[in-house]
Amino acid sequence: MNAIFQKVYDFVDERIGLKTLEAKLMNEPIKGGSRWAYVFGSCLLFIFIMQAITGMLLMFYYIPSADHAYASTQFIIHEVDYGWFILSYHFWGSSAMVVMVFAHMSQVFLWGAYKKPREMIWLVGLVLFVIVMAFGFTGYLLPWDQRAYWATTVGVEIMDKTPIVGDFLARFLKGGPTPGQMTLSRFFVIHVMILPAALMGLAGLHLFFFRSAGPAGPFRGTTEELKAKTDFFFPRQVWKDIVAMAAVFMIICTLAFIEPVQLLEQATPDPGEYHPEPEWYFLFLFQMLRWKIFSGEFGQFLGAIAIPGLFLLLLAALPFIDRSPERNIFKRPIALLSWTVVMIGIVVLTVSAILNREFLD
Amino acid sequence: MAHPVENLSSIKLAWAVAWSAFWTGFPFKLIVALLLLAGQVHPWEGAGLVTLLVVSIPIDIWAVGLTARTVFLERLSMEIRGPVGVSLWWQGAVLGALVLGGAYYAVGTTVAVGQKVAAAIIALIKKFYPALPIAEQITLELLLWTIPTAIVLLVFVLLWLHLFGWRVKRVVVASGQTSSASFVERVRQWDYARVPADPTLVLVSFAGVIVTLTVVFWVLLPVTTPTPHPDYPLQQVQKASKPVKPEELINKTEATLKKAEAVLAALEKEKSRETTKGKSK
Repeated sequence: MNAIFQKVYDFVDERIGLKTLEAKLMNEPIKGGSRWAYVFGSCLLFIFIMQAITGMLLMFYYIPSADHAYASTQFIIHEVDYGWFILSYHFWGSSAMVVMVFAHMSQVFLWGAYKKPREMIWLVGLVLFVIVMAFGFTGYLLPWDQRAYWATTVGVEIMDKTPIVGDFLARFLKGGPTPGQMTLSRFFVIHVMILPAALMGLAGLHLFFFRSAGPAGPFRGTTEELKAKTDFFFPRQVWKDIVAMAAVFMIICTLAFIEPVQLLEQATPDPGEYHPEPEWYFLFLFQMLRWKIFSGEFGQFLGAIAIPGLFLLLLAALPFIDRSPERNIFKRPIALLSWTVVMIGIVVLTVSAILNREFLD
Repeated sequence: MAHPVENLSSIKLAWAVAWSAFWTGFPFKLIVALLLLAGQVHPWEGAGLVTLLVVSIPIDIWAVGLTARTVFLERLSMEIRGPVGVSLWWQGAVLGALVLGGAYYAVGTTVAVGQKVAAAIIALIKKFYPALPIAEQITLELLLWTIPTAIVLLVFVLLWLHLFGWRVKRVVVASGQTSSASFVERVRQWDYARVPADPTLVLVSFAGVIVTLTVVFWVLLPVTTPTPHPDYPLQQVQKASKPVKPEELINKTEATLKKAEAVLAALEKEKSRETTKGKSK
């Protein structure tokens, strides 16, 4: 058996240089040794692969038309073997991807791994963050129930407030005065064609930049300690990554069991008793927009476009503003405080949005 | 002369052991929880909870023992005689039960008092500013009672860490032996301690367990949704069945057959004519 395997291996190696590729991929030195803190990027890749697999399985049954989207999703949940589980996994997988992006970005930020010479990795990572959010936004419409329809309506209205390109973007996405067949078709194409292609290309670039610059390593420890602990990517980091991926897989499965996808009423242009709300990871922004300071045309622009846009710009400019070589987060009080405030703000506003539901009727 | 472990903060030491132990045991507990969920048993209540807690005990003992040894060797240059998992686990569990009891009472009281105080403050603000919008009110009220609650919770977590750290130190003082190895050697020592003696055997067993668990998972998994939406179930579209009228059906069939006979006769006639023409030529 081993001899056959070896022959196949040698055959492939002779043609594509498998040994060199293997050495390049697995023998990457990790300064300071493997760590659990480095698993987030690999987990993101794993979640994306699982999203692609479950998404393709769902596409065997899903019909992207305003007349059949709802019924085909109901069919997946109630009639297709294990369809409810695959759909629920895909649904919770999208949430896991957002959480993991936040975890990955937080780790890079706290470890000071965005600093020279890793600015390009950080910038491509930011674009990937926007793509992940776009995945969530476009996928949310596809089941075509009231929740999907109104979350998209709210989202597109927010986008409409962007100066210069907002009107065009909103009209392009809706494809008509109200969300309908054209909206569904466009969201479907963006979700299953454009965004996966963009994500795959940029993730490849992200990894290429990462391998070129090398891992940043721990932010503290003497040179002797770091040198002593330095290890190759394989096997210890690979093992940690596998364990983390298995944990992520099981957490998503658990969520799919505890809270499986249940559709509301089919989408109609009349919200009825349903109170429009975006997906949970946009709730903090949605709640912020309810504040009086963000009321009115200008206020909505300020809260929905200007502040998030400026925040993203600030993140993009971060490696060029923060040029100090110091990476220890405990010696960067402004960075630590800013991260804490942003995280607490997101949590408090998300919980506020949930509490706010009681006061909507 | 004080033992070197006394120079280390109890909280830091306990955190190093407990945090790693938690994540070491977590994936194994998750497997059990997932299998219970696939079998439609809730792991947060009744028999499911009991099963999960019982299975968690040996997992935690193993995880605490493993991480404690690593921490002692790496940070304190100490090797421990005999097993430490059971001893540390039961001490941590007893302390946890005591602190959790206190925390349950204290946090509950803080939440109740905090919510009352927050409501009073909001009422006071509303006296001067009656138009306080609901969104701002919710966030303000939330912050007013969650901040003291979070502080109380944090105090109890630190208290448990301090007490557990104190017990960990006792274990080190009682059965620790200073390692004469250099830092590099110690790193290799705890590193190799985690590498199995027979990696192939471990990998094959690991793969076998994964395959078995996957099969069990898919066998237990319900084929269709176990929780359909109570208000919006699948709309079963019934195709309207046409009423069968036997007389009409017979007449229709007879007409079709007559038509077919006529076509057949015409074809035969044409064929015989062509044959006659051919012969005359």
